[in-house]
Amino acid sequence: MHDVNPIPMTFKLVSAVALVILLVPVLVVVMAGLNSGDFLTFPPEGVSLRWVISFFRSKIFLPAFGVSFGLALLTTLISTVLGTMTAIFLTRSKSRVKELLRGIIVLPVVLPGVVLGLALYIFYVWTGVGLARSFWGLLIGHVLVTLPFIVATITASLVDFDLSVEEAARSLGATPWQAFRKVTLPIIAPGVSAGTIFAFIISFGQFELTLFLSTPDIQTLPIAIYTSLRYAFEPTAAAAGIFAIALVITSTLVASRLVNIKNLLNRR
Amino acid sequence: MADTAISIGGGRRPRRVLRPALWWLVVPAVLFLLLFFLIPVASLFAISFDKTASGVITFQGDFTLDNFQRIFSRALYFEAIGRSVGIGAVVTVICLIIGYPLAFVIARTLRPGAATLLTILVLSALQLDMVIRLYGMMVLMGDNGIINTVLMGVGAIDRPLPLMYNIFGVIVGLVQVTLPFMILSLIGAIKSINPSLEEAARSLGSTRWHVMRTITWPLSLPGVYAGTLLVFALAISSYVVPALMGGWKVITLPIHIYQQIAEVGRWQFGAAIASILFVTAMMAMALYILALRRNAGGRV
Repeated sequence: MHDVNPIPMTFKLVSAVALVILLVPVLVVVMAGLNSGDFLTFPPEGVSLRWVISFFRSKIFLPAFGVSFGLALLTTLISTVLGTMTAIFLTRSKSRVKELLRGIIVLPVVLPGVVLGLALYIFYVWTGVGLARSFWGLLIGHVLVTLPFIVATITASLVDFDLSVEEAARSLGATPWQAFRKVTLPIIAPGVSAGTIFAFIISFGQFELTLFLSTPDIQTLPIAIYTSLRYAFEPTAAAAGIFAIALVITSTLVASRLVNIKNLLNRR
Repeated sequence: MADTAISIGGGRRPRRVLRPALWWLVVPAVLFLLLFFLIPVASLFAISFDKTASGVITFQGDFTLDNFQRIFSRALYFEAIGRSVGIGAVVTVICLIIGYPLAFVIARTLRPGAATLLTILVLSALQLDMVIRLYGMMVLMGDNGIINTVLMGVGAIDRPLPLMYNIFGVIVGLVQVTLPFMILSLIGAIKSINPSLEEAARSLGSTRWHVMRTITWPLSLPGVYAGTLLVFALAISSYVVPALMGGWKVITLPIHIYQQIAEVGRWQFGAAIASILFVTAMMAMALYILALRRNAGGRV
């Protein structure tokens, strides 16, 4: 196929620079985690699983990985249920309130994470119900920041959904719940799953919000790595990073199988 | 449409029967956002107008503007506002300059496999934990980092270049962290431009750059606005990047907030700085909407 308007060479070169900026730091973490020496030198000394083993024995990074994983799972669960309900309302309701609601749901993303974390912490202390510096307080914050992404992804798949299919089920005698579970849900399932995966990853890597909400005894992985980075380049942290990188790449691949990424990026 | 539904349903109020009431679906989310988002943010504003008392978090109801007066009367604080906004602006421009070409390549490549691969790479980079990416940046850019040791090894420099623990390091770190947001905002906008517009101009004799300047760029402006807003808002509100890449030497608003609270225990003053950061981010949003109305002609 002859391209009438080919991509300019300058654009290709700058793209290469952009890709280097995006990907080289990630490669460096993988190399630092698999390096055999105490420091990452260039060229690397050799490959070993020394730091990976040290990660599995670590009393800081392994539990932190577990906390982040569990927190992300719970966050995703709550966020998906809340988000699916909200997305159905937003796509079907004709009420004028919904534009306001859409705005409020997006706000936690625009709000600086440090500010939101501080606001929540002050609120937790004022109410005094024990949410301050607790797992549950952290969970609430993570649900807040993941909800917008879930609502956006599910809304995107509901926009294409033909409501008459659900109406047909209803007219044949299905209850609203049956119609949703047997007809609507299977059709929007790819979008819902992609949304859950994004929410999981966002919660797993959340740092700024967690800063004011985490406790010394419940450390998430980003906080643990941050704390160690303040003092030294702990290769064990890089080894923990390798597992996080693998998790993110796998989930992004799965999500891209579930929804057409191109559709998600297209403007409606 | 509605009438056919009625004849099938046959009930008294068929529309209701086929499409059940929706409002209850949104009740949990509204309650959740009210309780854990709107009220906390209101508390933050409330406490920022309270008299500063070290170590006291509870609301004293002592209304005062002292905290805000202090911020605007001391160079330490208002310079931090300028620094945050300045860094945000520089980062946004750099992201646009290096992000636009990559977004264009992804949107316009004729090989669908390459486009998908590049999109997944950008998405993975976006989603990967910021702290992990910063670890990589710090290993690269430190005084004993890879870049400096390689450059010294080949004899290009005698002393390590000051790449990190300064404003340069903070800007590079922020670009690394926010670039994917810019690229993803642009891909959709560039894709929605019909390529035949560009091809028509090219076949009528326009140069490549002329087409880019007069057709592609103006039509992609909605994506440019969305991306710049997002990157600016993220750049001014980042704590972790100035903390790690700036080594606490580049004091931005988020750093001030954390120091006031974690080190001095002045919650009211910290909350006041947080309110200013919040308002700055919101102003960026408002400017963006204004610019959008004027330039994009409501195409978004």
